[in-house]
Amino acid sequence: MTTILLVDDEQLVLRSLEKTLLRVRFHVLTASNCVSGWKMFQTNAESIDMAIFDLNMPDFDGISRPDAGLELMQRIVAIRPDLPVVVLTAYDEVGKAKGALQLGARAFFVKGREQGLVNLVQEILSDSISK
Amino acid sequence: MSFSSVKGFERHAVLLKTVARVLHNIASVFDLDMLLSRSVNIICKEFELSDVCTFLIDESGEWAKLQACSSEAGRAMAAQGHQLRINQESIVGASIADCKVCIESNAGKESATLKNPGFPSVGSVMSLPLIAGDDVIGALILQSEEEAAFEDGDLIALQIMAEQLAIAIRNAILNRKTHELLSQAERRAHLLYAANKVGKEIASVLDLEALMPKMVDTIVEEYGFYYAGVFLLDQNSEWAALRAAYGEAGKAMLAEGHKLEVGGNSMIGACIRLNEARIALDVGKERVHFKNPYLPNTRSEMALPLSFGGKVLGAVTIQSIDERAFTDDDITTLQTMADHLAVAIQNAYTLNTLQEVSTELLRNKVYETLADVVTEAIHWIGNKALPISMTIQRIRDDLVDGNTDPALLQEDFDLIARSAEQIIHAKEQIIGPAREHKPRPVLLTDVIQAAAHQNGISPDKLQFDIDDAASHVTADSTQFARILGYLLNNAIEAGANKIMIQARLANEKGYAQIRIKDDGSGMPRDVRDKAWTPFFTTKNGHDGLGLPAALHVVSQLHGNIYLTSMPGKGTEIDISLPVAHFPLITTPKLENAPRSILLIDDDDDWAKFFIKQLGKNVTHRTSAQIDPQSDLILVDEHLEATSVEAVLNAAKNALVISKVVVITAAFDVDRMTRILRQGVRDVRLKPYSLEELSGLWM
Repeated sequence: MTTILLVDDEQLVLRSLEKTLLRVRFHVLTASNCVSGWKMFQTNAESIDMAIFDLNMPDFDGISRPDAGLELMQRIVAIRPDLPVVVLTAYDEVGKAKGALQLGARAFFVKGREQGLVNLVQEILSDSISK
Repeated sequence: MSFSSVKGFERHAVLLKTVARVLHNIASVFDLDMLLSRSVNIICKEFELSDVCTFLIDESGEWAKLQACSSEAGRAMAAQGHQLRINQESIVGASIADCKVCIESNAGKESATLKNPGFPSVGSVMSLPLIAGDDVIGALILQSEEEAAFEDGDLIALQIMAEQLAIAIRNAILNRKTHELLSQAERRAHLLYAANKVGKEIASVLDLEALMPKMVDTIVEEYGFYYAGVFLLDQNSEWAALRAAYGEAGKAMLAEGHKLEVGGNSMIGACIRLNEARIALDVGKERVHFKNPYLPNTRSEMALPLSFGGKVLGAVTIQSIDERAFTDDDITTLQTMADHLAVAIQNAYTLNTLQEVSTELLRNKVYETLADVVTEAIHWIGNKALPISMTIQRIRDDLVDGNTDPALLQEDFDLIARSAEQIIHAKEQIIGPAREHKPRPVLLTDVIQAAAHQNGISPDKLQFDIDDAASHVTADSTQFARILGYLLNNAIEAGANKIMIQARLANEKGYAQIRIKDDGSGMPRDVRDKAWTPFFTTKNGHDGLGLPAALHVVSQLHGNIYLTSMPGKGTEIDISLPVAHFPLITTPKLENAPRSILLIDDDDDWAKFFIKQLGKNVTHRTSAQIDPQSDLILVDEHLEATSVEAVLNAAKNALVISKVVVITAAFDVDRMTRILRQGVRDVRLKPYSLEELSGLWM
């Protein structure tokens, strides 16, 4: 079963996304900030097939930052360069999207168009397998 | 009778009488020109001579200059500057040089004759040295048409006359010098006054466009000059543009945009290029003087540089209709004035630069803040809307697939409901503080206690230290309680065990300073910097609108709010609000109060205020113990020992619910509706002044 690490500080968003991913038979690991997300990754580093991180959430010092998700992504990608990461954000901004992709994200997904998220996740996973 | 025709004792008598008359006539004359003129005329007339003149030694001591003559011809020569060298070449020069009386009895034949074709025909000449004390100051010349008109016996009387005349002349000269010095001192004092006036204006008038016209007006009006103007350099330092100018000529030149080239053929241009004063005491001789058709009467002109720290900023032109119009005092005081003006100009330039930088910084800060607000708002809205749309999509998919597990559906609906609730709550957070404010005197402790009660905060966590002078502030109690609730909640969520509320009179007159200090976790700097940004929050389930709402409400009340916080050291919120102003009510309408009032309230400051005003009529209880005979039952919405619901139930049971008026520090529509449905008479805002108190039963 495909395992996805999902990190978002908004509990309702986290639960809703988790349910959506569970519905399509993914195994979902959840965390609500960088610290717990990093711990979850360290515990399950080999079994995680994909990660979805919110961009704006508490960083490793517990302080909410607009780009804390990128910090978590960089740490994880440094260990697992092959791990596909999707960055979630509510802010539709080209510069931020480009920055995330340049730092190693596979996709930059704007909240509010979530009906496409499952398709995007499946598409990325399919690409990873074919490579 | 001719003087020369009289002989012997009679001659002496006539001579002495005449000398006496002459001296009498000149004794009271202090003006030098008048003295000289009158003395020669009187001597000439009294002694019946053909001409009498006075020569005075010039400053060089080498020449005797003709000063006054009784004859027309002699006056003409004096006007032409006639002078004789002090030596033996002339009878005048010889008598001064030798300090003795010289007589030419037959002037036509003797060598030392005062030869001049302009004089009338001369028979005899006598030159009497004018001796004042030990100094020879000139000579008195007596001329007669008759030969041998003067006798040796005349000498003593005439020498006495000459000596007295010399003393009178010296006194007149000293008098003139005294007047000149006095006049000079007066002008100097006047110039210092003018310089001081400009100095004061420079210190008090910050606007350069107002200062420069004042300076040119002062220069012209106080110094009595013809014109003054101020030129300032343009950005490229190529042209000096006229920026302030005196009178109609000045107006015309300003309207034309008058400017002069730096280093060009003008005094201003040369003055600026060389950074030094240019002074033309006779403009006709000054090569670089600019012939200005607006100022046709200029005869002297001065250009003074406006220089600061070696850098020339412009120049001042000062013009006079007199030649050689500028004294050393003028130049010194005007240059001082110009130096002061240069400092003011430099200050204005610096201020202007600072303002531009400040405006740019402010603009950048505004854009930055707006960007922060937009980012936070989008992030917030996105996060609140996402669970709704995503859950709806999931439910649709489940319905299509036939998956209708009630437990899963229940959770989905709950997700939607909670997200919608947060959006609705944010709407109230945004709209609430914007509702109409009705400021009135409010009792600080009462509103804070109400805010704590509404937010479920234990009164044990609150500590009060309120000065009597700051016990009442001017605020809308509902709005004030709303924001106090946000602030107290923030403190509790930061882990505070104690919240200290202090109030003092502020340094700013008419304001109270309220400090809400907690011992919670405090905020790191980056959180503190963004704390006022709407939708910014570090707490789950929060909307980040509490502090922005507090800022909005306090600003509406013409107050200020500041936040100080450090991690581990708690947070301090300082709020300044106007202290309450109580209108003087001479006859409070409390005589209409119900005779028996049951007050159910905590034993707090408001209850004390109420009992103090209506003590005889009031029964005070802190529990839900109803006295059915009461005319009015006043119930505070927020009670520590019991609850408003318990009191209302007791009143219902006693069948006196219609006598109940619930009072509250802060209206809440939902709570008010719930209470009114119980059948109470009314729900009213708590009165905090005598005027409001009488309104309770009117």
